[in-house]
Amino acid sequence: MDIDDILREVDPTLHEVPQEKRDLQDLTRAWVAERSAPELLNWPSGELFERINDNIKRQIERVEEMTGDMDPKTNFALIVIQTELERFKYLVRSYLRARLAKIDRHALHYLSTDELRARLSDMELAYATRHQALLHNHYLSSFLSSFPPALQNLNDTAGNIAMVDLPDLESAVFIRLLADSMVSGRGVDTDNTFEFQESDIVILRWSDAKPLIESGRAELV
Amino acid sequence: MALPLPPGLTQPEVAFLAEMELVTIVPRQRLESIALLSGSTPPLRPPHRADLPLWLALLLKKQRRANIVPPPWLHPTSLSEIITRETKDNPDAFSDPPPPISRAHPSQPGRARRLAESEAGLSPPFVPSCTAEAPAGYLPYHWLEVAEALLAHAGDDMPVAAGEVRSLLRDLVEVRAAKMRSSTGTLEMFGGGLTSLRGVGAMELAESRGFVLGVVDGVRKLGASAEATRREEEEAGGGQGASDDDESDEDMGL
Repeated sequence: MDIDDILREVDPTLHEVPQEKRDLQDLTRAWVAERSAPELLNWPSGELFERINDNIKRQIERVEEMTGDMDPKTNFALIVIQTELERFKYLVRSYLRARLAKIDRHALHYLSTDELRARLSDMELAYATRHQALLHNHYLSSFLSSFPPALQNLNDTAGNIAMVDLPDLESAVFIRLLADSMVSGRGVDTDNTFEFQESDIVILRWSDAKPLIESGRAELV
Repeated sequence: MALPLPPGLTQPEVAFLAEMELVTIVPRQRLESIALLSGSTPPLRPPHRADLPLWLALLLKKQRRANIVPPPWLHPTSLSEIITRETKDNPDAFSDPPPPISRAHPSQPGRARRLAESEAGLSPPFVPSCTAEAPAGYLPYHWLEVAEALLAHAGDDMPVAAGEVRSLLRDLVEVRAAKMRSSTGTLEMFGGGLTSLRGVGAMELAESRGFVLGVVDGVRKLGASAEATRREEEEAGGGQGASDDDESDEDMGL
């Protein structure tokens, strides 16, 4: 134990990263992960999005107050604030849109089990359910109703072929290790386990990378 | 509404990320602290240096409110050193990424220590790898994007002529692009399931992502039935006991 550890015990906030910066790091990481992973990831826990949305709302209100002020000094601050606001909004929007794309593509799959449903936020769940219901009704009225009743399902598994499309969980991804750890990957010819160092970039299958990502020992890049 | 892009970050998205890297500036005017969503900016008092995200530094630079201090690794001597390392010392791999963040010990100057777990949770672009304190001789993850942005908008802040830095950068890009291409050799051997690209940059990844992932996924699909057979055999072999292990290893060698 050295002086830093003692100081940290007295004042735990001493060297901590401020909450705002941590939120931005978490949001950025979530965005990169969602853009890279072949399947939908869990909706971030810890009210990250509620916090970010509240902050954005508050910042917009501040901008509205400041625009009345014509002082050139606050004017420049206003430009900076608005630039940053746009950057934040872009991140949030791109993140949500990336999730929407995955939900649209495999709606039935993500609605099929409770475990998968838990990955969606409340709004996404409402959207997916409603979208799927509309789609099914449309199919029914336009052609499914003229099929024999036994063939009207959209999720048949007859003939060992499931109608519900699944994301390819074996596709390859790039990850960066956040801590030295053992990584095992399955390959065509052999399965291997190697020791990798922090900040190594590794290509492996998503199904092998997932436990590392979920435990926070690696991130998608 | 849904994003029409394929999985994996595209180049513009990588450039957007790189703009969050911290760089060091020397302000030319006073500027009070601004409360931003990512935390308040430090108050700017010339001639005291401050660390700001790249996008803000570029904005200040354009308005001639500040000069940007180029990171030490962008200095020509550092770049030539990296080029030598990439071509002579280690012609097969990318040079190492910057060492894990360390901070000078407050009570014992000169002694660096690893950051606490809570801080180690940060990763590029949020680690200070492009500030004036960053180590020379190591390329950070967003090296190409940051270097390009600084050369394009703050060329007059370089310690030497921007042209010299630019030509060194171009050499480095070419050397590393050749390595990226030759890494397909290892990709063909992707039978092992793990390939390391230690030290690769974000833009280099984005450029060859489609190709690399295409090869890896293609190899997997072509070998899918062989892999399934191997797994079945391994399972059956595992049931018979350890004595069969040597035999099955030899089979795989063939």
